[in-house]
Amino acid sequence: MPERAKVALATIGAIAAAALAAWWSSGSSVVLTQALVTGFLTGGIYSLVAMGLTLIYGVLHIINFANGALVALGLYLTLQCVGYLGIHPYVALALVMPAMFLFGAVVQAVLLNPVMRAPIQIQLLVTIGLALAIENGLLLVFGPNPKAVALPGNRGIQVLGATIELSRVYAFVGALALVGVFALLLQRTRMGTEIRAVAANPEGARLVGINTKGIYVVTFALGATAAGAAAVLVSPFTTIEPTAGAMFNLTAFVVVVLGGMGNVPGALVGGLVVGLTEQLAGLIMPSQSPLLAVFVVFIVVLFLRPRGVFGSSA
Amino acid sequence: MYRIQRAALAVGTTALVLALTACQGSAVNQAAGESPKGDGGLSEIVIGALHPLTGANAADGQQMANAAQLAAEAVNAAGGIKSLGGAKLKVESADTQGSPETGQSEATRLIEDGAVALVGTFQSGTSANVASVAERNAVPFVMDVSSLDEILEQGYTYSFRLQPNASLMGKQGAQRLVELAEDSGTPVRKVAFLYEMGNYGEAVYKGFMEEAEAAGLAVDPVIGYDAAAVSDLTTQVQQVAASDADVLAVAGYYRDSLLAAQAVGLVKPDVTAVFGVADGAFDQDTFVTDAPDGGEGYFDVNYRWDATNPATVELAGLYEERYGEAIRTSAVLTYDAIMLLADALEAAGSTESAALRDAIRGSSYQPLVVSAGPVSFDPAGENTNAGAVVTQVLDGQVRQVFPKDVAEVAYRFPAPSVGGE
Repeated sequence: MPERAKVALATIGAIAAAALAAWWSSGSSVVLTQALVTGFLTGGIYSLVAMGLTLIYGVLHIINFANGALVALGLYLTLQCVGYLGIHPYVALALVMPAMFLFGAVVQAVLLNPVMRAPIQIQLLVTIGLALAIENGLLLVFGPNPKAVALPGNRGIQVLGATIELSRVYAFVGALALVGVFALLLQRTRMGTEIRAVAANPEGARLVGINTKGIYVVTFALGATAAGAAAVLVSPFTTIEPTAGAMFNLTAFVVVVLGGMGNVPGALVGGLVVGLTEQLAGLIMPSQSPLLAVFVVFIVVLFLRPRGVFGSSA
Repeated sequence: MYRIQRAALAVGTTALVLALTACQGSAVNQAAGESPKGDGGLSEIVIGALHPLTGANAADGQQMANAAQLAAEAVNAAGGIKSLGGAKLKVESADTQGSPETGQSEATRLIEDGAVALVGTFQSGTSANVASVAERNAVPFVMDVSSLDEILEQGYTYSFRLQPNASLMGKQGAQRLVELAEDSGTPVRKVAFLYEMGNYGEAVYKGFMEEAEAAGLAVDPVIGYDAAAVSDLTTQVQQVAASDADVLAVAGYYRDSLLAAQAVGLVKPDVTAVFGVADGAFDQDTFVTDAPDGGEGYFDVNYRWDATNPATVELAGLYEERYGEAIRTSAVLTYDAIMLLADALEAAGSTESAALRDAIRGSSYQPLVVSAGPVSFDPAGENTNAGAVVTQVLDGQVRQVFPKDVAEVAYRFPAPSVGGE
């Protein structure tokens, strides 16, 4: 625990130093406040998108390249719920999450379970194929034109001089809630215990009578559900197109590795670190891509803590 | 650590496999020193159209492919290429998937399948690769949309570009802004510039800045962002609000420009106008439905299908009737590219590549996009009469507003509903 406290303290110290540099560089406290608030909120969204990825990696050791495509699928499901059924985007959660759970379960049972013992790149190729299939399927059905979902009552609010959109605040709160739900699910339920057992030692879990293939199915389904939930929550401020999930893909991988692969609360911390790094770096180095700073942080963290900031298995 | 190594190995292997797959078929047929030609009883002339039919730019790519077919139909309905005995045009569409490697291999395939000329490709990186294939195979290539200056700085002799290049659009953006400010009596001293950091945004920004500074305008702050990864531009717009810039200029793609508009709606910086420079969103019909307050008042300086030209309006009507959506400028440029090729084939009376190339070079085709005159290629293959026009969203519609000789309605500067009201 003191080890973790030290890491947390170092992280906060580094962010404070970056914030100071950003303030000096931008010369405006409002701009700095905006960067911090925006960094926090987008960070929450990153962790939301990375949640399913980390869960699937932690248990199945599959690097799910289809995560972005699953988010895109969730976005279109949300669009259909809002457009055809005329329901509030957040009410769509009640439909999108079970639908994505089912979809994820089918994918694992039909596509991935048969190749679980194959070399790791086989599963990787299956997820890449799945991503291509989903994106092109969406293109075929919905066409290429970008679409949008409007959130009734969405507006900007003032926080310490910074302006933020309500929809982004809701998404952030949603991310926190989701981390809580997943953490509880993993720690406090029988299924969670079984998932953790399979993650730690699949052979041992099988020997004590756990249906490992069933757990694989449930885990991938939960990962897809998380992607679906993320999609609903980001839908009011994302352009919905077949490749919409792709922009989150790279960031989500960085978040997952930073937070410790397979660590659900770690994904939250990783997301916040990436979100804040992006925003503050944009102020400190305005002529460089913020992604550069993200990757510098990424490499430094990997060098110091190869298992991620809070690296340990779920 | 072991897991990470395993993951890295897997990612590496996958990348290798994908790269190898992508390379398949991309080897250019070195023996094809001359292009396949039609001869004798020529009844069909194949033109290859390369566009991103899938991927992030599929919306434009599919429209461009449709427009190529419409153009071929129009030529064929009018009797085909008369100097070649009424031979019909056949457009073979290929999907570049937005990837330069795929574009390259598809271009090679089309040439091997007998295409006498190529048009495309919407993305500069892809066009650069296709241009090199066209050059090696001595097959004329007419770029409809691709802004990167460098594509035509290689001394190519078979490649041509219809649209104004990025630096020219940046330059014309600054010129038009200065003219508008003068014409409207609204002083503009300082411009904040927000741009995507890729080839296109950077070239537009540089062209703009040189011209603006020469005209006595200050360009500050200058803020770049990564178009592929950005999900929020509020901080950047807050930086603009904290400066005392009079105008916010934006050079971005559709999705990120929409993010900029959302941030402007939220922060409400005290500027007299948001002024797109070759912006990918502010002159699109969908922007009006997607942007806060309908994007009312947003300007854009861009190449554009000419709403004051009856022939263009007729094409726009035909397109909407056939495909159920409004035509985009990118598609009109593809239409122009095919029509230009048809004209050149007619003039050359041959599909022989050098003759066709020379006919394209000597073309005086009058395009359906806004233009300073008929197409006129300089030795590098740039269309010297390519031009940009100022549009503004007014009463929920994108309208041409400046220069006045191509204006549909009067502009409003300062722009309504963008600033601090």
